[in-house]
Order: sequence, then C-alpha cells, then structure tokens
Amino acid sequence: MSIEKEISVDEISILQLSDSFFPTGMYATSSGLEALFYSKKIKDVNELRDLIKVYVENQIGPTDCTALGNSYEYAKRADLKRLIEADQTIFSMKLIQEIRETSTRSGTQLLRCMSYFITDNELLNKYQEAIKNRQASGVYPVALAVASSTLNIPKRKAGLMMIYAFSVSIVGAALRLGMLQHFDGQKIIHELKPNILETVNNNIDRPLMSMWQFAPGIDIVQIAHERMASKMFIT
Amino acid sequence: MSSKRIPRIGIGGPVGSGKTMLIEQIVPILSDRGYRAGIISNDVVSREDADRMRRNLASERGLMSEDLVIGLATGGCPHTAVREDPSMNISVVEEMELKHNDLDMIIIESGGDNITTTFSPALADYFIYIIDVSGGDKYPRKRGLGIESCDLLVMNKIDLAQYVGADLSIMERDAQAVRENKPYVLVNCRTGQGVKEVTEHIIRDFLFESPPKAVAKNRV
Repeated sequence: MSIEKEISVDEISILQLSDSFFPTGMYATSSGLEALFYSKKIKDVNELRDLIKVYVENQIGPTDCTALGNSYEYAKRADLKRLIEADQTIFSMKLIQEIRETSTRSGTQLLRCMSYFITDNELLNKYQEAIKNRQASGVYPVALAVASSTLNIPKRKAGLMMIYAFSVSIVGAALRLGMLQHFDGQKIIHELKPNILETVNNNIDRPLMSMWQFAPGIDIVQIAHERMASKMFIT
Repeated sequence: MSSKRIPRIGIGGPVGSGKTMLIEQIVPILSDRGYRAGIISNDVVSREDADRMRRNLASERGLMSEDLVIGLATGGCPHTAVREDPSMNISVVEEMELKHNDLDMIIIESGGDNITTTFSPALADYFIYIIDVSGGDKYPRKRGLGIESCDLLVMNKIDLAQYVGADLSIMERDAQAVRENKPYVLVNCRTGQGVKEVTEHIIRDFLFESPPKAVAKNRV
C-alpha cells in the first residue's frame, strides 16, 4: 500500500503520453526504414538495432531531445517568445519535407488532444494560438515539451518518452514490414535502453544553439523514401 | 485549427471494392450541380489511387485543382488512420480547409475490411461503405461494423452477380434486415448505373439540400 501511495497522478500522465494509443499518428511513419527494406540493405536484426542507434544518437537525440529540453524550461517559465524561437529553430533543422510536415502534424494533434482535457493552461492555449497565427509550426518536440510541462512530467522523463517512442515506432515499422518477429522487436527495445538513457542524458540540458545532427546516409535514405511512388509509410 | 469545418464524407471498403471508381463517378455529377470537393486518399501501399484521381479529375477534366487530391500513407493500418488515431487525416483535412474554405465537401477514402472499418465522427460526418457482389451474396448477412453502421451502403459490380452466383435479391433483403432499413444502393461503377442515386443521397442526407457555396455566395 505504501508504494501505491507514492505513485502520483503525474506518473500516470507519463504512461498516458507514452502509450502508442495516444493519438499522434506516429504509427504511420518509418523514418525512411521502408526504403532500406526494399533495397535489402538491412541484413539482420543486429543491423536494424545498430541503425536505430544511429537514428537516436546522431539525428533525433542532438536535435529533438535538445529542443525538447529547452522548450520544457521555456514552458515552465511561461516564456512564449523563447518557445516560439525554439519551435522555429528545430523546424528549420529538419531537412526532409515529409518529416517536417509529419512532426508538425503530430505535434499539433498532440496539443489539440491535450486541450480537450486541459482547458485552463495559459501557455498551452497561447502556444496553440501562435500555431494558428502561423508564428509557430507546432513541431513535435516542442509540443511534447509543452504537454509534459502542463502535466508536470519531469523534463528528463519527457526526453525518455520521446526517444523511446521514436525507437518503438521504427521497431513497429520493421515488424509490419516483416523484417523481424515480435520477440526480436522486444529484444531490440531492451538492448536499446542504455543508448536511449545516454542520449537523453547527453542532450536534454544542452543549449538550443548547440543542436547538431550528422547522419548523411540516413538523410539520403529518407530523401529516397520520400520520393518513392509506392510506399506503406510516411517518411 | 480551421475557422469553419467543411462537411466531410468518409468512403470505406475492402481493397478492390470500387472506392476510387465511385469517387471518380460521383465527383463529376456533384460538379455539374455546382458542388466542389477535395479528396484525401488513404492508401495501403501506394499513391496510385490518389495519382489516378488527380489525373482523371484534375489534370484531364479540370474539375478541381491538382492540390485538392492528396494521398496519405497509413503505415499499413488504414483502419487506425480513420478510426482509432485519425490525427494525420485530421491535420490534412484542416490544412485543406484553411487553403480552400470555399469547398462544399471533403471526401476521405480509406481501404479496410468489413469487420472493423468505420470512420471516427471527429473525422467524417457521413459514412459510405462500399462492397462488391463478387464477395458473395452472404456479405451483408455476415454483418460487421462497416455494413451495419454506415449511413449509406453501396453494393458495387452488380453486373458480375450472374458470373459469381450472387443473388442480388438476397443481398438487398439482408441489407434491409441488418441495417434496419437504412439506405443502400446497387451500383455498377464501371457503367455509372446507380451512381446518380448515390449523389442524391449525398445532397439530401448529408448536405441537407444546401446549395453549393458558390451559388449561395452569388445570391448574396
């Protein structure tokens, strides 16, 4: 009973926002993995795990995770001006059009769903107003930062949620493409846990202007996927 | 995020049942009556349907601008894209509403089997489910969310009934019974037979006989 009493509503909010049942549309993305599948570039489960590490450590971690960390601090201080700056900066760092659009659509829908059950948070409402007025895009890491701050989810846990959900989305895409079996998927997620943790620790507290990314091979794959005529996933 | 919601029709049905061809048939009829439509096509593995509709309805016939036909990938989960998590569809619909607020309707097409396919009311205001007779005359009797809950059931490819041993009278009888007399239409999308009746249902039951926006604007 004492353990149960220590569990707060905020922790249940972590479960709610990280649940794949929460509607953000991310199940429809593969981050370009589908192009690698058709070109038969991934030979086995270990190669897939190593690829996800590159995604996490060289693309999403030093960009989205840092954007989330800074946006979270701005949200806590109700600093809308800085929040919009962070939104515009991370939006401009997403090189692939379809990834920019998807991140924006997911973020916008996350906020809309949130404001269906949280109606009195001033910053949440003002940020949505800024998106409506086209001052901000509603890109996902910034939207998740606002949502996490609103629900009192700690910053580091918000970062873990985002990187974990991203990793799971690629494993899910691989599963639906038939690249692995369901137990393999869980094994990969288990093996990625230290990398997810390290990525969050390395990036969540860095300044916004120190964001970087270097995964040119993945950039090229994502460009190729975006242009595929026949595909099951959004890039 | 949009200032005014444009009425939305969801058209669902199994792969190959004739969803795309139904849209290609009803859009010109609605256009003749002055109604302008935008189309979002949720494809399972390709953009082929969206590309075809864009070519047929926009590029060749000039019934709409090319940016009014949008193909959307669903990660292999078309049911999810229109029911459990319609986030991407709603975003695209709202972008269309912002850019083209003069549209009379937005048509959202999605593949999906008979058992689970329905549209979230947050996404679509009116739901057409289409099946084809080559699945057998047992199809309506076997029920399923799509057949039972749709606003209009369309049974396509009636010309094939004689070749697959499907009895259309049984399909009609069972459709009436399981749908408790909600409307259904027998069509042949290849020849256009029955399609006008589908558009009449849309104008009467979905648009409530509202005149096209362009006509209403001119009256003012």
